[in-house]
Amino acid sequence: MGFDYNSLLAFIIFGVTIGVVYGIVALGISLIYSGLDIVHFAHGEMYMFGAFFGLVLAHNVGLPYPVALIGAMVLTALLGMAVERVFYRRLTRAGGGYTVAGMGMIICGFGMSVALVNVAYFIWGAEAEPFRANLDYIPRLQFSGDIEVPESYVLTAIISVVLMAGLHYFLRHTKTGLAVRAVAHNKDIAYLMGINVPLMISLIFGLACGLAAAAGVLIGPMQSVQVEMGYLMLMKAFAAAVVGGFGSLPGAILGGIMVGVFENLGAAYISPSHKDIYAFLLLILVLMFKPSGLLGIEAKVKA
Amino acid sequence: MHLKKKVIAGVVAAGVGLTASAAFADDIRVGITMRMVSENGQAYGQMVMDEIDAINASGGINGNMIKATLMNDECKSDKGVANANKLIFQEKIHLLIGSTCSSVSLPIVDVTAKAGVAQMIPHSTNAKITQKGSEWVFRIPVSGRYYGGVNAKYVGENIGTKIAYICAADAASVGDCANMEKQMRSRFGVDPAYRADVQEKEVDFRSHMQKIKSANVDGILVAALAETMARALVQSYEAGIGEDVRRIGSSSASNAPVPKIAGDAAKGVFFTAAYAAADDRPIAKLFNEMTRQRYGIHAPDHDFSQAYDLVRIMEMALKSTDLELSSSSLAADRTAIRDAIASVEGYEGLASGPISFCAAPTPQCRDGNRTAVLIGYTKGGEDFETEVLARVTMEPDFGLE
Repeated sequence: MGFDYNSLLAFIIFGVTIGVVYGIVALGISLIYSGLDIVHFAHGEMYMFGAFFGLVLAHNVGLPYPVALIGAMVLTALLGMAVERVFYRRLTRAGGGYTVAGMGMIICGFGMSVALVNVAYFIWGAEAEPFRANLDYIPRLQFSGDIEVPESYVLTAIISVVLMAGLHYFLRHTKTGLAVRAVAHNKDIAYLMGINVPLMISLIFGLACGLAAAAGVLIGPMQSVQVEMGYLMLMKAFAAAVVGGFGSLPGAILGGIMVGVFENLGAAYISPSHKDIYAFLLLILVLMFKPSGLLGIEAKVKA
Repeated sequence: MHLKKKVIAGVVAAGVGLTASAAFADDIRVGITMRMVSENGQAYGQMVMDEIDAINASGGINGNMIKATLMNDECKSDKGVANANKLIFQEKIHLLIGSTCSSVSLPIVDVTAKAGVAQMIPHSTNAKITQKGSEWVFRIPVSGRYYGGVNAKYVGENIGTKIAYICAADAASVGDCANMEKQMRSRFGVDPAYRADVQEKEVDFRSHMQKIKSANVDGILVAALAETMARALVQSYEAGIGEDVRRIGSSSASNAPVPKIAGDAAKGVFFTAAYAAADDRPIAKLFNEMTRQRYGIHAPDHDFSQAYDLVRIMEMALKSTDLELSSSSLAADRTAIRDAIASVEGYEGLASGPISFCAAPTPQCRDGNRTAVLIGYTKGGEDFETEVLARVTMEPDFGLE
């Protein structure tokens, strides 16, 4: 009996689809880092809140799934902007990286993560909730042999492409996007150019949290929604962001896809018992040969 | 002046000691540690407390009240052990009830054995719990070694022998997989057609389902905790594995989150448990109505029935023994309670068969319930429905070879 190429293709397809979700979350993390030079450790909880917002809008309010997705993105973006404005503003103003404010931001992020998880427990409880979405209008794809790609996976791929294209267009071809990039490049000069820097910072946060929410709503029908879902996604998304090059937006997507595929192939051909290890094994491998990540830029710090 | 201060301090200390002794006297102190993370978990924890309150309201045990302390171990072994230590050494309980997770009950067995406190287990199926040989442990639920036998016989005779196994890393699921595999090998001489050992909270089973689909199996055993099992069931259909491949659940399949989360994917799943909401005995119907009215539970699973039977057995045992209930008689009272529980024979309650214990610290004596019920889901979702397929009472030695 020869090697089962059909199964290999299936694992790659599943890996790419889940990897794209990691990439979307990693995109948000990289966006915040590239714009503000800070690492946001509560990003997993934004993903979780987005999933729950989507669930409430779809099940309780009765909105169609695509509308619930957009609604969840908007609500989570507003939540992210509110959190940034109320809790992070002083720290984000003072800078990031290796500054005291940057370290403070890391601690603040951890604290915010714990706080958001507990708020979610209070609102939604600890039980996993099924996210049943009517996806009859999405075709189920069949590949060679008996590989079936469920509708939820097809939709994830489509929406991910749309989101990435949308973000690219926004950043490259709109005035606001240009302002966001200017703030990311140099806040002080952006101030001097008359850009409303605090608003742009809030917008960066909002965008990043909206992307995390999209990932949460896309994952919901595949895996159910639970308060504890943010932690593992954050770890995988960080791995994806680092593999792709921290701060690089294309790198975040590439890193996510690589993490998803590596993880699936590892579970399929090595051992399924420790599936979560493979993302971090990939991380270590990449960092050994390219410390800045695959598409990251090596920056030399002068003494 | 110095002497006066010493005398005052001595009087105060004596007073505190007397008060503490008085506080510990007369009440029968029961400690409870359970997994109360989900709505169901909180409900059956509350049910245990309510039943104890009802005992107290009708006069207590031989005139003494039961003082119960309920703690949530969240199905985490470190919390469970910490709870047990606190209850035994600080609260100085006479009896421990817990836990509902095998991974928590297993380490607590060592704690109660060392401290000399009877431990009544409301719901943990891992066979090793009673195989540790502790004379202080009493298991009310059906042991996993019995479930494995019933499942294997039904599967082999009705479904086929080419079975894929998905085994999560929690103690109950590890035990369920091991028992099923052992029984399939000894009855039918077959090994698993496919086996995957996954993490306790695994979320993505698609690579496994793809391989299982290629293996053309007769059935898939999913041994995992409720939410994880539900995900696996849903994803098995998403991978294109048809209804003709039967899904077999481990004992966690009886938990309400499985059909609620799995929805239509739960239909046709069968599993062994100690109680079925579809049971048509009058006592079962009364119990179902009580849990529906008091706790809003649509269809109680065996977590509820076993907790209820446990309280009844505890009440029987405590009433049959004379307890001094002073601070100096703590060890003697604990031993008397242990011996009283060990004397319980032929208790008939919600369990599908009689529950009996005996004195020897062996699984034959301490796995009190030997009757498993084979149950199938006829409908999934929030208003799930079940049917009873069979009831089987096993021999005490079964699964110990």
